[in-house]
Amino acid sequence: MTRASADRWEDGAAIQTVELTRRFGSFVAVERVSLRVRRGEVFGLLGPNGAGKTTLIRMLCGLLSPSAGSAFVAGLDVARAGEAVRRRIGYMSQRFSLYPDLTVEENLTFYGGVYGIRGKPLRTRLEEVLAELALGPFRESLARDLPLGYKQRLALGCAMLHEPPILFLDEPTSGVDPRARRSFWDLIHRKAEAGTTLVVTTHYMEEAEYCHRIAIMDSGKVIALGSPTRLKEEHGCESIQQVFLKLLRGDGGSTWQTPRSPSGESGVLGS
Amino acid sequence: MRAVGFLVRKEFQQIRRDRPVLGIIFVVPLLQLLIFANVLTTETKHVKLAVVDLDRSRLSRALATAFSNTDRFRVVGFTTDVAAIPSEMRAWRVQAALVIPPGFQSKLVRGESPALQCLVDGVDGNTAAVALGYAEGILSQFLTEYARREAANAELPEQPIRLEERMLYNPDLSSRQYMIPGLVVALLTIIPMLLTALSFTREREMGTLEQLLVTPLRKHELLAGKLIPYLILSYAELAVVTTAAIVVFRIHVEGSLVLLAGLGLLYLFTTLGLGLFVSTVTESQQQAMFVAYFLIVFMLLMSGFFIPIPNMPLLLKKLTYLDPMRYFMAIVRDVFQKGSSLPSLLPDVLPMTAFGLAIFSLSVLKFRKQLG
Repeated sequence: MTRASADRWEDGAAIQTVELTRRFGSFVAVERVSLRVRRGEVFGLLGPNGAGKTTLIRMLCGLLSPSAGSAFVAGLDVARAGEAVRRRIGYMSQRFSLYPDLTVEENLTFYGGVYGIRGKPLRTRLEEVLAELALGPFRESLARDLPLGYKQRLALGCAMLHEPPILFLDEPTSGVDPRARRSFWDLIHRKAEAGTTLVVTTHYMEEAEYCHRIAIMDSGKVIALGSPTRLKEEHGCESIQQVFLKLLRGDGGSTWQTPRSPSGESGVLGS
Repeated sequence: MRAVGFLVRKEFQQIRRDRPVLGIIFVVPLLQLLIFANVLTTETKHVKLAVVDLDRSRLSRALATAFSNTDRFRVVGFTTDVAAIPSEMRAWRVQAALVIPPGFQSKLVRGESPALQCLVDGVDGNTAAVALGYAEGILSQFLTEYARREAANAELPEQPIRLEERMLYNPDLSSRQYMIPGLVVALLTIIPMLLTALSFTREREMGTLEQLLVTPLRKHELLAGKLIPYLILSYAELAVVTTAAIVVFRIHVEGSLVLLAGLGLLYLFTTLGLGLFVSTVTESQQQAMFVAYFLIVFMLLMSGFFIPIPNMPLLLKKLTYLDPMRYFMAIVRDVFQKGSSLPSLLPDVLPMTAFGLAIFSLSVLKFRKQLG
């Protein structure tokens, strides 16, 4: 299985999964997901709550082991080289997991230290991140006192201090006001232009437009995959929101029927 | 390994800002010390005594005076009605009654053995037993003196056998001297267990544990970084409480403080391990608190801290061997009061070490599973 998957590894891919599956008891949270994310791509994972987005990301980060299938991140098998993978990724969880009783600077310093950056490089990197995320004025503030939009930036800062080539952002914009969301997406694009690969989950359908490519998930399966423009064309819709509703209702367009065999998924809709 | 340093520093930064935790660590123990030293006492004093004098003689009055002259008893009333005693006891006005039957003096003078009755409220068994012991002591002293006085008059030989009592190791039978070392043990159990359990579950609640698990930190680094701060704090606690016990509360330490510190470190493996264990079986700080309290209460009750183990029923006595605190309790009391050295402590040190290693390694293994 792993040899076969390794054969399917392609250059230029930052992430590749082969029939990745995770079960919790009899509940299948992620079912046979095969994806490829290119380097420097902003890849969106869309879907309602409970679609399996977070479970998928957790498997890619090595937080959960898959029940079946395999995942390669930065060219490494997550199941085998967990620690090496963790050095090459940054992860921002849904809950902006910060230490509320530490200051902005202390949070950043801590994560830098944990990733093995210390001394002068750490100080330099700290200033860079503070400037990049416009967190400078808040450096002495406790994380719990920050407005939500800045908490979100700080969480991103903690995840990217060690300059990982791949960033996983799980619902980074949830609960944040539209203006802060807009400027957060600007940040994401700046990272992508600088060569970082980003996997972003969201349940705001309009945010799909900001992604290079998206995968729409429902009940653990990828039900659509492609660039937002292409998906809209294929389904003859004005917006991703409409595509999504159409897919869920099952009155899909010519190329896609439901229900259908799981093996057909990536074949029909794969990039 | 230097990542551990960052973890330790972070933990201390958090603790520094957490006033309640600082209070739990340093203020509460000192208050407890104060309470234990002054309020909570197992010594029996001022037992409320009713004297039922049915003899009304010179000697019966002298006997009553002998009882009222000690601080062990406080004579709350004289009566000639024995039937009144039970209702007085039910109303908590009387704890013990001394019944002097008619003819007490005349029998004594004739050289016969008059019977005395002592009624004791047995609800608080400990106090009852101790009060009875005191009563016997006072009575025997009274009779000795009586005999001596008679001897001086009648030139009779002195009482042939006399028991000379001498209390060793704790000559004043001070309960402070016994209870405060026990408090040290209790604190070295409660503080590390609670703080460790709460610190892990807090990180789980906040999601920061998940965040730490995606970093390249290894399990042993993460555990070391989280446990070392609480090891240091517990040690500081041990130092502060022991110093206060010695300097402020005048507790006498017979044995070696270095030995105490060394064995304390060993015991901390058990309690830090238990804290870690609690955090692996609970999801929230609230749950962790409940589970930790359950363990703490069990450990305290079974340790011989309040209830002497020899007084327990056989089944419970056997159960105490499962309580790691029991061993450290015995060790600390021995070091404080008897000045015991390591070889004589081994029967307690060995099982304690075994418990520490078992609990600690099991918790570490259990923690590891959750990373999966």
